[in-house]
Amino acid sequence: MKFTGIPASPGIGAGPIVRYETEELKVRDIRIPPAGVAREIERFHAALDAARKDLSRIRDGIAAELGKHEAEIYDAHLLILDDPELKRAVEHGIRDEGRNAAFVFRAHMSGVAARLEQVNDEYLRERRADVLDVERRVLRYLLGDGPRAAVALERPAVLVAHELSPSDAALLDRSKVLGFVTEVGSRGSHAAIVARGRGIPAVVSVRGLMQRVKAGDTGVVDGFAGEFELNPDAERRAFFDARRDALADEERTLAGIHDQPAATLDGRRIELAANIELPAEAEQVLAAGADGVGLFRTEFFYLGRPELPSEEEQYAAYRGVAERLAPRPVIFRTMDLGGDKVASYLGMTHETNPFLGWRGIRFALHHPDLFSTQLRAIYRASAHGRVRLMFPMISSLDELQRANGLCGAVARELKRTRVPFDPELEIGIMIETPSAVWMAEELARHARFLSIGTNDLTQYTLAMDRDNERLAHLYEPLDPAVLRSIRHTVAAAHGAGRWVGVCGEMAGEPANAVLLLGMGVDELSMASYDLPRVKAAIRSVRAGAAEAVAREALLQSSAEDVKAVLHRALDPVLPGFLSARRVGA
Amino acid sequence: MTETDLVIRNVQGLHVRAAGLFVRVAGKFKSEIFVSRDDREVNGKSILGVIDLAAEAGSTIRVRAMGPDEEAAVAALRELVDGKFGEEP
Repeated sequence: MKFTGIPASPGIGAGPIVRYETEELKVRDIRIPPAGVAREIERFHAALDAARKDLSRIRDGIAAELGKHEAEIYDAHLLILDDPELKRAVEHGIRDEGRNAAFVFRAHMSGVAARLEQVNDEYLRERRADVLDVERRVLRYLLGDGPRAAVALERPAVLVAHELSPSDAALLDRSKVLGFVTEVGSRGSHAAIVARGRGIPAVVSVRGLMQRVKAGDTGVVDGFAGEFELNPDAERRAFFDARRDALADEERTLAGIHDQPAATLDGRRIELAANIELPAEAEQVLAAGADGVGLFRTEFFYLGRPELPSEEEQYAAYRGVAERLAPRPVIFRTMDLGGDKVASYLGMTHETNPFLGWRGIRFALHHPDLFSTQLRAIYRASAHGRVRLMFPMISSLDELQRANGLCGAVARELKRTRVPFDPELEIGIMIETPSAVWMAEELARHARFLSIGTNDLTQYTLAMDRDNERLAHLYEPLDPAVLRSIRHTVAAAHGAGRWVGVCGEMAGEPANAVLLLGMGVDELSMASYDLPRVKAAIRSVRAGAAEAVAREALLQSSAEDVKAVLHRALDPVLPGFLSARRVGA
Repeated sequence: MTETDLVIRNVQGLHVRAAGLFVRVAGKFKSEIFVSRDDREVNGKSILGVIDLAAEAGSTIRVRAMGPDEEAAVAALRELVDGKFGEEP
């Protein structure tokens, strides 16, 4: 029997099923005599302290494993333990009503959970799970049970649950959990995030699942298709086994080339780098076997916070990444605010045409103090690794010269005050606008490298808003107009003796990466997740063949025709798992 | 007293993580801070209270602060909410 849900973590997991039941904690209503009040309040605080210790440990573990952002949910749980109203209500219940801590605590938490259950909004309704998770954690201590043990599986199994709380998720052990399926949840559920981080296949939001599953059943979790098959027959088992073997083959291949260079069969080398946004992602970059970071987006420092980031704060973060990746290069893209990234404390307002408005380098040059603070932080970090920087949204030579001028002033000031930095720091630009494409010869004379941002370049070249649902199918980086812009940029860069990269989403698709290699691009930067597969693709072609594909692609007059060329030429050459993966993905 | 109306713009609404950021910012100020939606008002430094408002995407909350740094508190919370809690680029 097949169930359809939402694919939450890729992979195929098959095996015996274990039902993971939500535990029932029995709370009795007990009278506390006045003489026992102080002790009961103390017990309540001790339970909060114990829960706080558990959560801090889990939080630190997840932060180290998956990054600070993923650990924030545990920070929120910790905040619940410190909630002033919760403490007041529980202490009031114990002291003034003579009730036991567990009873009043549960009443307060359940009240919030029950009200959330009535909410129409699905995201918020799901948050009930967080409240209940904290409730159970504290109750176990109040009832003297201690923390719940890790999902206890005697042998590897597929886990089936109504829901996995953030606490449950943190305990998922890849060597025991072959995969999991839950009745509720979304791709953003914490269990899904942890599953992706640990490589555990998962499907969520499968309605009516628990009623159908019993002990002794077997199941297959297809985390690509978002399907769960209960008690598959021999034929279906064979199908899943074959797919799982193909994936295992892929995993072995990718692990085998982890430390190998991204070079074609005949030895043409291309630099493969990763795009990141948060300093903690440096670990994923290294795990992916990248040659460096090709795009460090620095906007997160400026968004979602009430005040400007200081030079020291930025320096510490940039230095951390530069040191972690050394001797590999890290390209910091200076602030790319505006467009859809608005920080109102900077005086930014919502514009009627934001993508053509006050954004990127235009905004930065308007705020030389703010911009110089960031440049100083990047320059200072350059003493601790191999740092490069690049400017976003350049659309004229004048902008580049003014930005270069600010860099020069920062460098002179650092030198004067004897602050160390790398005097050879390379400064490059992003090519994202049609004007930059057509001025690339001139720009290349004033920049050490060009990095083509294909997301914006596609949007500006085709004059298509990629967030517009009606246009989404037309937004296509393989459009010949975009490819010819890339060709022009590559020729201009090489003519000036500069190297050129591509850092849009396009670079992360294996066939497109081969096309870009064939067009002469020297560096590709993509999501860490995509990098091993792109490397596998590069390592399976000859440079001459890639060039031939590029030549033919550039003769086409539509994106459809370009895709047909890529399929015809590359499907037979690229590793089978690259196309197999697309089936259910 | 300083007060302002804020529209929740991030898709996920005032969920747990966002509520956590909200009370952490609120907790930095000396002023008393209250948040209300429709006719329910809660302590702006209580995460359970803020979650309990169940303010989904598109809803409006009213932030009220009283104390020595009330204006800065309201401005900081406005920044956080208008910036979609740093969630969506």
